[in-house]
Amino acid sequence: MAYTLVLPALALLAFFFIFSSLYNVELSLQKISLFQTATGKGEFIGFKNFVELLRDPNFYGVLRNTALWLTVVTVLFRLALGFGLALLLNSTALKRFRLSGLSRVLIFIPWGVPPVVAVAIWKWMLHSRYGFLNLFLQKMGLIHQPIYFLTSVSVVWISIFMVIVWRELPFAVITFLAGLQSVPSELHEAARIDGANGLQQLWYITLPLLKPITAIIGFMITIWTFNNFVYVWLFTGGGPGNFTQVLGTKVYLESFVNYRVGYGATIGVIMTIIMVIFGIVYFKVLFQPSLRK
Amino acid sequence: MKKNILGNIQDLVIVIVTFLVIGIMLFPFFWMVVSSVKPPDELLSRSIRFVSGQFTWRNYKGIFEAGFLQFILNSILVCSISTGLCVYLIALPAAYSISRYKFPGKSLIVVIMGFTQMFPWIILVTPVFMFFCIFHLVNSYLGLIITYVAITVPFSIYMLMGYFETIPKNIDDAAAIDGCSTLGTIFRVILPISSPGLVAIATYTFAITWNEFLFALTLMIQTEKKTVPVGIANFLGQYSADWGVVMAASVVAAIPTVIFFTIIQRRLVGGLLAGSLKQ
Repeated sequence: MAYTLVLPALALLAFFFIFSSLYNVELSLQKISLFQTATGKGEFIGFKNFVELLRDPNFYGVLRNTALWLTVVTVLFRLALGFGLALLLNSTALKRFRLSGLSRVLIFIPWGVPPVVAVAIWKWMLHSRYGFLNLFLQKMGLIHQPIYFLTSVSVVWISIFMVIVWRELPFAVITFLAGLQSVPSELHEAARIDGANGLQQLWYITLPLLKPITAIIGFMITIWTFNNFVYVWLFTGGGPGNFTQVLGTKVYLESFVNYRVGYGATIGVIMTIIMVIFGIVYFKVLFQPSLRK
Repeated sequence: MKKNILGNIQDLVIVIVTFLVIGIMLFPFFWMVVSSVKPPDELLSRSIRFVSGQFTWRNYKGIFEAGFLQFILNSILVCSISTGLCVYLIALPAAYSISRYKFPGKSLIVVIMGFTQMFPWIILVTPVFMFFCIFHLVNSYLGLIITYVAITVPFSIYMLMGYFETIPKNIDDAAAIDGCSTLGTIFRVILPISSPGLVAIATYTFAITWNEFLFALTLMIQTEKKTVPVGIANFLGQYSADWGVVMAASVVAAIPTVIFFTIIQRRLVGGLLAGSLKQ
């Protein structure tokens, strides 16, 4: 009986995730176009796709974009800002004025906005001629020429950064907040009696206790962001030129715009390998020591 | 006394800083709503107006003239059917089985579900598209529904497992003594008791599918089959976007999920953490 009840879920997951992943590996070894869909089989060419990808100098630019600009920068900012905001929302000051409930509801709102809508809002906010940010900065006298947020290579990553951090920050805030609330208040009281000030309590009690949760949040949002497609695709389309191309958009571009399904699948396989290596290193270096403490 | 005043000022500063940050975070949302009721000449002016000078429904009429209603109906159809199937028919029995029975391979199943929950959709999109072509599931509601059930099932099971742990086992035993079959117990006893949790999970699942863009983009190619996010992306992609219309469509797309997320916020966070900690 136990098996019968999990069977539908298991069958669906096996088909959708495991079977598809294996099929993806098979596709990566083929030369196959998006129009060869009747049989789903192309010409077997061994590792030629992998060789082509690894020899393509553009690939390393895309890899660096994905790892550094899309992932590391936005994840670190989200963790730092998320923790700071969670501390503010958890402060006794807000509780005194009975504002903690309201502030939590409000801070959560951007996360309820669909990613597509987040991109639409920011594209409008950052419009070179009529966008709010450009008008505001000009009214304040901070700039005299409009900033081309979406097409100028010096600021385009900042624009992508803004939309990602804006929409995804609440997740970090709310999870940190849940972590902060799980720290027993007796610990803080005991420390206060022993003469520890606020900063010392933060450093010696809160931070160590939040280490496991930080490790998990960090891991989850890193994986999510590394594989993200929608923000860059809708915001810049990987442009100007190839300047903001990331692995997620490259998979889509090769498979569905250039119709080179085998090549797109190859990039997917490479992404999987990178994530597996990252996961192993991350848990060996960060997660296990933090659990032992 | 002096210390008290100092403490009060400090508290006040914290409150002001917090709400300043919240204000900045909410401003883009506010700007979307305001822009959606501005006429074109006000949108394309070089002055900043925080309220619409000539309030208009023009943009909202515009999205429906552009065929947006069909996208909304598609989204409602696909998202509600996949949510119902996922939570009530597939995740509910699976989570019940995992939380109540001991059987070989159980921990492996839990681990696999953890992996699938983290599994990036962008890698799946190519093979799934090719599969669906073979089985004629491209441009079909059924295809997108299967996809949405698959991507939301792992999370729903995790959340439900956590929920079932709070329901005492004697209830099952009592139902069994009264002659309930296992399925009867699940659907006639457990389902009603856990309905607050189920509703919260279903709401979250609905929101995830409502927001989903990548699979909707690749699997639904005909215009009349597209969902809301892809519809907005279409408006956005036009050479000279009509920003009032884009913002009106954005408001329509964002309202349901913002309301849902606000209502279920507290439950959701607990579930997210429980789900991730188990991994």
